[in-house]
Amino acid sequence: MTALVGNLSLGAAVLSVAAVLLACLAAARLDGRVCLLWARRGMVAIAAMLTISCAALLAALVSSDMRFAYVANETSHSLPTAYKIAAFWSGQEGSLLLWGWLVALMGAAATLGRRRLGAPGEAATIGTLAAVCGFFVALLVLAANPFRLTPGVIPSDGRGLNPMLQNPAMVAHPPLLFLGYAGFTVPFAIMLGGLVGRRSCAAWAAEMRRWALTAWLFLGSGIVVGAWWAYVELGWGGYWAWDPVENASLLPWLTGTALLHSSTIVTQQRGMFKGWTAALTAATFVLCIVGTYLTRSGVIDSVHAFGRSAVGAYFLAFLGVLVTVSLGVLVARRDLLRPRTRIENMLGREGMFLVAIVLLAAMAVATLIGTVFPLISGLFLSHPLTVGKGFYNTLVVPMGVVTVAVMALAPLLIYGRAAAGALGRGLIVPLAIAALVLAAGLALGLHNPMAMACLAVAVVGVSAMALSLAREVRSQGAQAGFGPILGTLRLIDANHRRYGGQLAHLGVLILVLGVAGSSLFSVNKTFTMHPGDSVRVGRYSLRLDQVRQVPADNYAAVEASLTLAAPDGYATTLTPQRRFYANAEDAANEVAIRTTWREDLYVVLAGWQDQGRTTAIQVFINPLTSWIWIGAILTAAAAVFCLLPRLMPRVRTGDATTPTSARSRCARALRPVNADWPGGLEEAAS
Amino acid sequence: MACARTKLIVGGLVMAGAVTYLAVAGVKSGWTYYLDVDAFLLNPACQAQRTRLHGEVSTDALDLRPGELFVRFDLLGRSGRVPVAYKGPIPDLFRPGRQVVVEGTLDAAGIFQADTLLTKCASKYMEDRAGPPEARTATPQ
Repeated sequence: MTALVGNLSLGAAVLSVAAVLLACLAAARLDGRVCLLWARRGMVAIAAMLTISCAALLAALVSSDMRFAYVANETSHSLPTAYKIAAFWSGQEGSLLLWGWLVALMGAAATLGRRRLGAPGEAATIGTLAAVCGFFVALLVLAANPFRLTPGVIPSDGRGLNPMLQNPAMVAHPPLLFLGYAGFTVPFAIMLGGLVGRRSCAAWAAEMRRWALTAWLFLGSGIVVGAWWAYVELGWGGYWAWDPVENASLLPWLTGTALLHSSTIVTQQRGMFKGWTAALTAATFVLCIVGTYLTRSGVIDSVHAFGRSAVGAYFLAFLGVLVTVSLGVLVARRDLLRPRTRIENMLGREGMFLVAIVLLAAMAVATLIGTVFPLISGLFLSHPLTVGKGFYNTLVVPMGVVTVAVMALAPLLIYGRAAAGALGRGLIVPLAIAALVLAAGLALGLHNPMAMACLAVAVVGVSAMALSLAREVRSQGAQAGFGPILGTLRLIDANHRRYGGQLAHLGVLILVLGVAGSSLFSVNKTFTMHPGDSVRVGRYSLRLDQVRQVPADNYAAVEASLTLAAPDGYATTLTPQRRFYANAEDAANEVAIRTTWREDLYVVLAGWQDQGRTTAIQVFINPLTSWIWIGAILTAAAAVFCLLPRLMPRVRTGDATTPTSARSRCARALRPVNADWPGGLEEAAS
Repeated sequence: MACARTKLIVGGLVMAGAVTYLAVAGVKSGWTYYLDVDAFLLNPACQAQRTRLHGEVSTDALDLRPGELFVRFDLLGRSGRVPVAYKGPIPDLFRPGRQVVVEGTLDAAGIFQADTLLTKCASKYMEDRAGPPEARTATPQ
């Protein structure tokens, strides 16, 4: 029954896709509005059919219906229900179904979200969305059917979920990434439709911005949850290894970040960055597919266990179509993408945006080259070469630091000829503060040039942000008559995009300090210990009390208990474990971490022999690691804030709530009037 | 305008130069050959420098001392074998018969001194299964 429902709904989804594509083609010839109405309904049908497929697979997983090969491969009866659900995205077929379903849902939402029927290029937008859904549905039917039955005898129990995946992050990390990947389909479709239908760039850029921001939020959150998971679960003391799989998720994030910035300029009607915005929209979506191709086809060797599977060829073909279509549309509509104005001042807002966008794109290109280096070198050499962390650390990391330095200047940037002077004047105080902080750092023994650069950038960024906010509050507060706190909150609420952006930058600065601290000053020591031995690491003292076996429900663990004495007099017991799961032949680490704002003490049970009489304990001291997670949470909150509408009611009298600093007045005066100004989205607040 | 354009071009060239320099430095600092055991044995040039080798852990000649973070084993290719010594935390998935990747250099005594030992995943997870990105991280260090 479940198999029938699942397969029928997949089949119905194929038919719906075909119907939508036909309706979109017909819209170009026949009565556009009737056909478009049917295309919209078809998008809803695709989403509904895939929802039924998902429900069928979920029912099979939760009820442990071992007749299905997928259920038998991914789960076992004893698995907790949360992980049975998480098995939905632990394997090839389920994760592709999830991805396709999310594309269909978001596609339907984006289609129905447009109230007016028949905007120029709508047929192309809906057609693109349906075609992407069609790719995933075809893949599910032809190469990765989640409803394939177990051949031969039905097993009494399944193979269980890989113990490394049995972590709460498994519930959140993959769906977040897929929400990001699927979300970037919508901006791509809106961009193609906008160009094909010859809408103004500001109009389609404004429409797709919210989708791009949402997808960027999900993708970024997914990456950080993955990093956190690797950190707490794997026991090597780090969170990022420049592995191909990690790079694959970073690539669209980098271009997506560049896209958010270039589209801001386009929606502000500056007449620039239209080509960049279109190209970055296409590149971001294509890179989502490239990453999946690289990691699932087996062409790149990763420490992550990816089987070589048939879906690789499908992804490659899809990639070819996407690149051809994107390039074709961009070239055919190059007249629309030509800049109307020139960059007046490289030190102005538009110039610095260009620098940031180029740097982000260059980081993406460098990361991509590093990832596919074995493939490139294999073409010219008899033996492929791989590049390791050194490549990324010498090439991508410096570019990242420069990008963050440019970002730190953001609150001081204005448009136009006066920009250089304004930037210079605005920088005096932040640079002075940074010099003081660096001098204090030198006195305290900070000598690492990279750390000093990161610290200086962060101090300049935070102080520039605080000073410009204070200035704006002062100039606005005099007229508004609110207190300083309420006045600040009202000012921030009046322009979510501006202050949301600044909050995101603040989060990134905190994250960068965390990354700098933990990567530059990490201490890693391994001790061979016998019970009763004590060691000193940094400011901590650790005593190994005992090593014993601990039974639990679905695993047995070997546990070392260590008494920790911290310099502040705090004493506690740390119990790193190595767990042996019932269904798996492999063990998984359970790291003991003590987190403070200064540093993490990270203790791993690295190995033992003679029943624990000789034990290897690995200790990492990772400074500022918690700042990474705090910065990431702040950045995600900032993205949510950008997406929210104005929260506090507008005041009727006068224009008290609009920021009236000289800069914003100037920016408004400079903004050209355009009949096509969409006026709906974030800008509506001001 | 011409002046601004010149500035832009000079700035672009400086940036491109810096990036090229970093790229060359990065590739030089990070590149390693990636070979199987047989190709490694046939290739004296690779034996003189840092290499990444993949092969199977032999079931004999294994000296595993996890409490001292030391292991000595033979890495098998289709025909040849290379003795490997590794010092460091031994990954959970390490055992005889497994596919592993080691990175290091060959010493004068003909023993491959590895500072990195990565395990490829168990056969159970090698089939038609490719999980979501990052979901299947093995120990990368």
